Amino acid sequence: MTKPLADTHRDAIAAARIAYPQKGIRQQVGETMVSLAAEGAEFLVLTADLLHATGMAPFNERFPERVVNVGIAEQNLAGVASGLALCGKLPFVSCYAAFTTLRGVEQIKLDAAYNDAKVIFAAQSSGLSYGVGGPTHQTFEDVAIMRAIPNTVVLTPSDAPEVDACLRAALTYKKHAPIYIRLGRGPEYVFNPKQMNFLIGKAVQLREGRDIAIVANGSMVFEAVLASDFLATQGIGAGVLNIHTVKPIDRNALIAFSRTAAAMVVVEEHSTNGGLGGAVLEALAETCAPRCRLIGIPDNFPPIGPTPNLRAHLGLSAEAIVAHSLDLLS
Amino acid sequence: MAVADMPSWPHNSPPLAELKEMARQNRVDATNMFMTAGNGHFGSCFSCTEIVVVLYFALMRIDADSPDRPDRDRFIMSKGHAAPTLYSALIRRGFLPEEWINEFETAVGSRLMTHPSRRYQRGVDVSQGALGHGLSVGVGMALAGQMDERDYNTYVLMGDGETNEGSVWEAAASAAKFRLGNLVGIVDCNGLSVDGKLADVMPMEPMVDKWRAFGWDTIRVDGHDFPSLLHALAPRRTGLAASPRMVIADTVKGKGVSFMEHTRSWHSDVITQTQYERVIAELAETLP
Repeated sequence: MTKPLADTHRDAIAAARIAYPQKGIRQQVGETMVSLAAEGAEFLVLTADLLHATGMAPFNERFPERVVNVGIAEQNLAGVASGLALCGKLPFVSCYAAFTTLRGVEQIKLDAAYNDAKVIFAAQSSGLSYGVGGPTHQTFEDVAIMRAIPNTVVLTPSDAPEVDACLRAALTYKKHAPIYIRLGRGPEYVFNPKQMNFLIGKAVQLREGRDIAIVANGSMVFEAVLASDFLATQGIGAGVLNIHTVKPIDRNALIAFSRTAAAMVVVEEHSTNGGLGGAVLEALAETCAPRCRLIGIPDNFPPIGPTPNLRAHLGLSAEAIVAHSLDLLS
Repeated sequence: MAVADMPSWPHNSPPLAELKEMARQNRVDATNMFMTAGNGHFGSCFSCTEIVVVLYFALMRIDADSPDRPDRDRFIMSKGHAAPTLYSALIRRGFLPEEWINEFETAVGSRLMTHPSRRYQRGVDVSQGALGHGLSVGVGMALAGQMDERDYNTYVLMGDGETNEGSVWEAAASAAKFRLGNLVGIVDCNGLSVDGKLADVMPMEPMVDKWRAFGWDTIRVDGHDFPSLLHALAPRRTGLAASPRMVIADTVKGKGVSFMEHTRSWHSDVITQTQYERVIAELAETLP
């Protein structure tokens, strides 16, 4: 059991959080794809009646000849994308994580992955980012599904600048395989520099610390950074490793990072079954891994609620990471 | 002109007698593959033999010396369990070595398995096996051809039971929306699926009306009659129609072997040595 944080500590973390600017993930995806097309990158945008809902309406206005809308039909979406890829096109599928990974999973496995077709699945509204949508739209199993399929790449960028860099990296990535990009939806805090690199398969160490090692991906990277910064004020060194590529995972960086501290926390906005936590423990299974706690969505259907409140309710927050860290160190 | 001497790209249709001989040979090849493996999908293969033969030996623009040419016609064996029919065509057209017949499903690493795979077999455009996938991939391929203004045709062969899959109808609607006159669907209507008559398991008739309602230019033909198939499946290179084309092919499951025809169990039954000899004897002559 973790001990509740003192009110003053909670206030300090909350104050640090709101000092950061925010930017919508959906907005960033739309902006990046328009920029890339304007810069001359060749790709098609495919969607299943979600151009507006995934921020691609401006793209559709400027480049309508590049847009393929198959209607509300996610199996066909993945199949058509694969057929296009097998004839030399680069399909960028702008969709929702829930329907793409669950409705179209066999098409992703067979039509795309087994056929060695490079299809980019830009899957928005993942995790709890559409929290009010409830379990039909909340997506807490997509990373587990996608990384279990052979010949896939699974990316989980954190904030708007990293989403921009990630999309650019995916477009030029030389591998005949589907690339699954797990994306949020609404505003997320921006903590990365506006211009940044994204090397697929390379973990990024954001904070150093010798007491506790925090591994995070997606929206939880920011919370991990906040937690580390707060712990530093308490004299506790908490390293933060951003595993933005869950597959192929950066095993060497992970092993080295795990050796920096006596205890480890893995935090993700995904089920604790089979997501980043599972990937990390698999990678460390044959090493002398430190004691490790997995923070994620419990194996229950989450309640319905606004995203920030829902995350806080489920313990997906800097406050919870701090509490778990203190508990592990006590 | 013997089929073996045909120039690979482009070529003219061989005479009817040659096509009938290729169909006979194709059924023998498939039988030998199944005998090697000790199992097989006789019924499903023999119902689509003439369809595959007419595409590979009379109609499709393909080149065994250069199987990846961008302007080749595409074929998707969406009813993937009829792979031996496709394998025979690829072998007899020079894409795959004839010896491979003897390793069908025999060992770890066999290059010919139950369902076709582009990973292991030259000339296979799309790996298939799970039903209800081919038409969507075919829509993507035809759409790419339309965008690139290439004149290739994309053929997708489905089983009638396969059309139970909802994904087939997602693809059907999208092919009409994108006005894919370069896409040709074929439904091999042998009337039987694994558990029995399609009419009992899950009726799909009236098939022609369904495809027409989905916006497809649809005709119904005898799926074992070469002249009808030559006409119905002829590639269109110019002046494309605004609608995709659907050929509903009425066929006989197990066609060509008296004790297999119209018999549910021959979807995937194994044959004994005695039965094998009988099959080969019945396949000694071309079908009328």
